[in-house]
Amino acid sequence: MPIIEVSNLTKDYKLNVRKKGLLGSIQSLIIPEYKMKRAVEKISFTIEKGDMVGFIGPNGAGKSTTVKMLTGILTPTDGEINILGMSPSKQRKKIATKIGVVFGQRTQLWWDLPVSDTFDLLKSIYRISDSAYKKNMEMFNELLGLKEFITQPVRQLSLGQRMRADIAASLVHNPDIILFDEPTIGLDVIAKEKIREFIKVVNKEKNTTMLFTTHDMMDIEKTCKRMIIIDHGTIIYDGTVNEIKEKHGKKRTIVAEFAQNINNIILPEGVEITEEADNKKHMQFNRDEVQVSEVISYLTSKYNILDLTIKEPEIESIIREIYEGGIDYDKTVSGDSEEVISEQLGVSR
Amino acid sequence: MAYRADYYAGLINTLILIFVNIAIWKAIYGEDGSYDGVQLKIVLTYIVLGFLMQSFFIMDDYFIQNKITNGLISTDLLKPISFRLLVFSYSIGASGFKIIMNLVPAIIISLLFFEFLPPFSVSMFILFILSLCLGYLVLYCLNFIVWLTAFWFYQTFSLVTIKDALIAVLSGALIPLWFMPTWLYNFIKLTPFDSIYYIPITIYLGQTPSNEIMTCLLKQVLWIVLLTVIGHFIWKAATKKLVVQGG
Repeated sequence: MPIIEVSNLTKDYKLNVRKKGLLGSIQSLIIPEYKMKRAVEKISFTIEKGDMVGFIGPNGAGKSTTVKMLTGILTPTDGEINILGMSPSKQRKKIATKIGVVFGQRTQLWWDLPVSDTFDLLKSIYRISDSAYKKNMEMFNELLGLKEFITQPVRQLSLGQRMRADIAASLVHNPDIILFDEPTIGLDVIAKEKIREFIKVVNKEKNTTMLFTTHDMMDIEKTCKRMIIIDHGTIIYDGTVNEIKEKHGKKRTIVAEFAQNINNIILPEGVEITEEADNKKHMQFNRDEVQVSEVISYLTSKYNILDLTIKEPEIESIIREIYEGGIDYDKTVSGDSEEVISEQLGVSR
Repeated sequence: MAYRADYYAGLINTLILIFVNIAIWKAIYGEDGSYDGVQLKIVLTYIVLGFLMQSFFIMDDYFIQNKITNGLISTDLLKPISFRLLVFSYSIGASGFKIIMNLVPAIIISLLFFEFLPPFSVSMFILFILSLCLGYLVLYCLNFIVWLTAFWFYQTFSLVTIKDALIAVLSGALIPLWFMPTWLYNFIKLTPFDSIYYIPITIYLGQTPSNEIMTCLLKQVLWIVLLTVIGHFIWKAATKKLVVQGG
């Protein structure tokens, strides 16, 4: 039984079309013109308990809208959401006790209150027992170092500290599901790493289901096995991170530094030069068509090579290509997310 | 510091308004002290009482609107608490603060400097307090409906201004309703407005016959129920309409 079930979820926004200039303003005042914008179009997916799923897509793809609908803040135009057997927009308060939400772009802490007061308030809002509260606070202190700034008002915190406090605040009531909306936005490398580690620990210890939206592919690579890519409101990929690498990351690049400058190099078929600088050459080929070892042995036998490295495409560049439409994603091949999940869990359900 | 200045300004504002209105009514009455058979003293007590009530009946009209325009409403909706209860508690809290900080000093000054009749009787005073609380709730329910329009319009300044003007005139906060033309008076009796200021104040003055007091209180309760039901449906529609601004 999946913990989150989304089927044919659709959300339309009504946009007011504003005309330019004074005449335009008057015109839109008298005869307002509206345009419907479909932010999310018929998306369906399921998430099992304990899963960590990355939810990615370019800006304006509909990620945040989906997350907000999952929390019950926004009411879907069409389609169904089922979280723990409940519908978020109808049972918002009940679901609120079961989920935690982190919005990277806005804090949920009380701006003028010290961090510790926020936690005390949350304790009474969520009716957390003393023992559970104490246990959680100890864990947050240990892993997130809340103690350093717990007496400061939220408005005086640095972004990294605020984010740590926000994440802790979303977890204090032991939610079954946590939704992260860009939790690492604007953070430095160390802070990001710390937060990822923390998220991983929580997922492991409490078996919390997590859904991430982010633009940082490292977040996904380091924490999630499965990812859902959404663009223009529709799901264009749902599968494991590895699979997308396998499928779309077939290109390999060999960077070789030659002893002398070779002007007209003869290469095996399927290998082409993409970049040249002095004696360094980048040679690209498809892994399925040409064997890496073949290329290397060919090069070493013919030329004098000083240095040689093989590059795999990074997930980021693959995603970029998908966004730009360079890769035609074939839905029929890996659209079967059920299979992917079982693979990811590695256990029978 | 900024808050302190605001506090003193609010207190002085109440007192100036009372003073100016007393001066106006005294001028209308002239020397003989009686007009349309109503004693000047009663009118002055009415006016002072009206302003004292207004000093803590004023609510933050932009609480919901601000939450919508800056998107913080999402934070409230993520908590397992009722948003409507949150808004209500906030209003009660703010009014409680105003009662202690504004009303008490204003009452003391009014008693010292303005002509101010005591309540008609002890039982009337108790009924007045009850009616006052009901009047507050009627005003709150009415306000809540206006505030909710922020879900559609985002800027509710004009609507709030219209509402304030209507209340000022029709609720009898500025002018005792018995001075209104009969047709208008009869019309106002059909609206929730007289429940806010006119009913409690006339009970205080002993102008409502004791056999009609129960009807008046019942009328207030009816308006609270009716407006709450309307507010409930608008709230349901509002949550469907909600667009969280930014991000």
